[in-house]
Amino acid sequence: MLAKVNQKLSGALVFLVLLVLSITNLYPFFYMFLNSVKSRTDYFVNPFSVRGLELTWDNYRTMISQFKILNLFGNSFFISFFTILLLLCLGIVASYAFAKLRFKGKEVIYLLIISTMFIPVQATIIPLYVFFSRLDLVNTGWSVIFIYVGMFIPEVILLMTSGFRGIPDELIEAAKLDGAGYFDVIRYVIIPMGRPSIILCIIFYFIVTWNDLFAPMILLQSMDKRTVMVALAALLSRYSGDPTFQFAGLVLASIPAILVYVFFQRYIVKGISLGATK
Amino acid sequence: MVSDKVAVKRRFRLSEGILSILPVLVVLIFMRFYPMVAAIYRSFTNWDGLYRSDWIGLANYVQIFTNSPFWKLLRNSLILLTTVPLQLMIGLFVAVLLYEEVKGWRFFRTIIYLPQIISAVTIGYLFRVAFSLDGPVNLVLRKIGLEFLANEWLGNTGTALGVLVFCLTWFSIGWQAIVILGGMSKISPEVFEAARMDGANYWQRTFFVVIPMISRTIEYAVIMSMVWTLTSVFAFIFSITAGGPGYETSTLDYMIYRKFYQAGAPYGSASAFAVILLIIILVFTVVEMRVANKASEWE
Amino acid sequence: MKRTTRLLIGALFVLSTLLAAAGCAKAPEAQKLTIWINGRDSFIGPNEQQLPQDQWYISQAIKRFEEANPGVTVELVVQADAYAAHQMFRTTALAGNAPDIANLWAGQFIFALEDAITPITDKIPQADKDTILGWDTDTVGFTAGNPILGYPTPDNQLCFFLYNKKIVQEVGLDFEANPPRTMDDFYATMEKIKNAGYIPIGADEAVDGYAYYFFQIAAYWWVQQNGFDPILAEDRGEANFADDQALLTALEAYQEIWAKGYMNQDAATSSDSWNKFLQGKIAMVPRVSSFVKDAQDALGVENVGVIIPPDISDTAVIKNGTIGGPGQVMVVSKNSTNVDLAIKFMSFLNSKAEVLELNKFQTKVPIRTDVTPTDLGAEPGTALAKLIEWSGNYVFWVDNSLSGPVVDDFNKLLPLVLTGKMTPLELAQQLDKDKGAQ
Repeated sequence: MLAKVNQKLSGALVFLVLLVLSITNLYPFFYMFLNSVKSRTDYFVNPFSVRGLELTWDNYRTMISQFKILNLFGNSFFISFFTILLLLCLGIVASYAFAKLRFKGKEVIYLLIISTMFIPVQATIIPLYVFFSRLDLVNTGWSVIFIYVGMFIPEVILLMTSGFRGIPDELIEAAKLDGAGYFDVIRYVIIPMGRPSIILCIIFYFIVTWNDLFAPMILLQSMDKRTVMVALAALLSRYSGDPTFQFAGLVLASIPAILVYVFFQRYIVKGISLGATK
Repeated sequence: MVSDKVAVKRRFRLSEGILSILPVLVVLIFMRFYPMVAAIYRSFTNWDGLYRSDWIGLANYVQIFTNSPFWKLLRNSLILLTTVPLQLMIGLFVAVLLYEEVKGWRFFRTIIYLPQIISAVTIGYLFRVAFSLDGPVNLVLRKIGLEFLANEWLGNTGTALGVLVFCLTWFSIGWQAIVILGGMSKISPEVFEAARMDGANYWQRTFFVVIPMISRTIEYAVIMSMVWTLTSVFAFIFSITAGGPGYETSTLDYMIYRKFYQAGAPYGSASAFAVILLIIILVFTVVEMRVANKASEWE
Repeated sequence: MKRTTRLLIGALFVLSTLLAAAGCAKAPEAQKLTIWINGRDSFIGPNEQQLPQDQWYISQAIKRFEEANPGVTVELVVQADAYAAHQMFRTTALAGNAPDIANLWAGQFIFALEDAITPITDKIPQADKDTILGWDTDTVGFTAGNPILGYPTPDNQLCFFLYNKKIVQEVGLDFEANPPRTMDDFYATMEKIKNAGYIPIGADEAVDGYAYYFFQIAAYWWVQQNGFDPILAEDRGEANFADDQALLTALEAYQEIWAKGYMNQDAATSSDSWNKFLQGKIAMVPRVSSFVKDAQDALGVENVGVIIPPDISDTAVIKNGTIGGPGQVMVVSKNSTNVDLAIKFMSFLNSKAEVLELNKFQTKVPIRTDVTPTDLGAEPGTALAKLIEWSGNYVFWVDNSLSGPVVDDFNKLLPLVLTGKMTPLELAQQLDKDKGAQ
């Protein structure tokens, strides 16, 4: 009897917690949307009010037709896509080594790699800019991509190594006995078994690179190379700006990030080891 | 004869391991090690970001430890670290619920990650408003008769840091939940079901089934959120409290950020701050890895 | 498998070399200028980025310049973050590919970049020197005779009070006929407004870590007493802030206004003073010129007035002024190979014709002495006409005038002074400690 009450109570509690989390997670989007369809004056008078709201879609129309936000999406996407591709190629191979291979100095090298995460990017950007400018790579997406790869590969290795460590050694040995080579092991054992960390890597670094302002702002100067977040940031500053227009842009810019998350998170499913051993 | 073969095999394995990490090392040497060494060198100079870069020995460090709010910054950074266990626990709680497919889990799994997609400045602004003197939080407290709790949240050291911890935790719950869910995907549902059949309740399932099986995931989550809290939360601090009042909520990374933006460009001093931060995080990480290695022995 | 790994690594190297080669394929052009413009606050107005790029004022100005100077092309770069633009200018200068012209902040911000800037002292046309205000703000150390580092942008950004005429009339006052000009007057006025149930002054003194506006009023009280020279001497370490009675008096007034309830009590943490002013709950807010139009749109043109702060004492050397001046500047980088052309372009942007064109897109208070209110279509008595009238008597922005470490601590600690958690003297002593720090 008591247990049943208890169960109901905890059920209600869980529901309440999830409800509060849901509302607070959705609110910022509601806020951004609300103000993107408001007039400039209404926004300044009260950014939280829904009163007297006239749904004006002008900001969205202008974002697409004049601000050419879709072209900016292309710039951002190019950077995010190749960053992730490189992160996956480099990360999977290196993490396999750290998780499953034995070699001298592994622990020290691992720590050395991880420790490069500990210095804020601000402190390293100037030598990097000079480096890329010597290679004549500034003002190309590749400079940003390589900086991202350098910034995030330690995190990816940390993530994937922790994931790959859980893969049973017997599976790898068995594959090798079947004559599988280095890349076969990676392809048929590591990738399917380590799928969750690979999926997480795609989700995390798509969103992080998509939203990042700092590296592209420093390295991409020409107007036609700017990423979407940099272009949107230029809409607002200390003394003046175009907040409602910026909100419309931010809402649009969040759509690809949401789609990537929604699409890939479905692949984080339970019982992954089962499927792979068969 | 036999031993020769083993030796050959071992040497081969060695090169296989090294070769696997070589591309990463090449990238890191240019993208991280070189600028890091440069930053460490600059921390002993009076670099202004341009051509002035005279060797001044430990002067930047002496300056930081004697005439700067360093200890306050360190205190604040350490206080903000309390977000790590908080977000981990709540993230774990949410992840287990999602794993067990509570009602509406599909919907919930989709929106749990949303905060990560919104810019820190927007989130920060909303938190700043929520906890302002006439903001919704105080409004609710006054409505439900807890007026004595209503105060200028961002104006006092304790409550302002509390709001920051709250914001960082809220922001990271979804991230933690997804990470842990990823780690849990290797737990076979049968093990879970078996535990449930044996009468293990939610907490027992979490502590005796989930946690031991995902110690490596937890290690990752702890290191990442720790590093994140110590190096990359300045955007939140900037937009919620701006490090104020005074330096009461400024952290080490916020100070580094500010120094890099200051008109006089004290990049030497900013680099020294960055080096100190690097050492602090390194110590934390080594300790953390030791603990995790111990923990995974009984995995 | 070893071979495959090697191949992979090899492929990576080839890939990066190819990319590098692709980047090299740029041919140098003799008559090309690159110019950085801040996304806001200088040449791009509130709604301009909603237009296609070729319809922005600055794009059209470039086109006019190119037409007048055949063979010249100007590439426009819009910087997203004016603050970060300084760091970027530094970085690009170090790499040797800084733009020909960069839009930065005047005063200490460019003095710190002196090594990367080509001085233009002797190359400025005499006519510009005579008719444009604010050359001192671009002169190293604010000291006449030192190198001049750049051209002011055509905008005198003044800081003053915007007030709600309805509220002021309701309490029986008329700021148009009798604006409060002494501190006693000012306090009496605030008292009346407060008693009528309105917040007299609204300010957010710690948003983003900068004491944005009300402090600028207090800064005016500081500077007006003895002028700028003693302050610059204190900043250079030749005198002490702690001994500066004018600073202490100004900060005491700053604190007193808060303590007497003439200001929103959460000014040290708030971010909504602008909203509340537009909602009609706050009587006046300290703001800069770019906010006038939004206030008029929300409250109605007839309900928005402007006044300058009262004068702190009878003995002040500067009176009837306010904080202002061209806070932004255009500089020519050291690595520019077209210095003369760059100067020509900056002069062009400051010409009377261009100033009038710019004002078709956004309202700017001119820094040219030969632009009259009538030129800009400002009727006598309107806000704009008043701003233009005041614009000749400004006190330059204090946060552009003090050195980095000093102004940084100043901004950080002011909210504590405002709320009485720190005394003006303690703040002044801390500023003395910051001098000479890196």
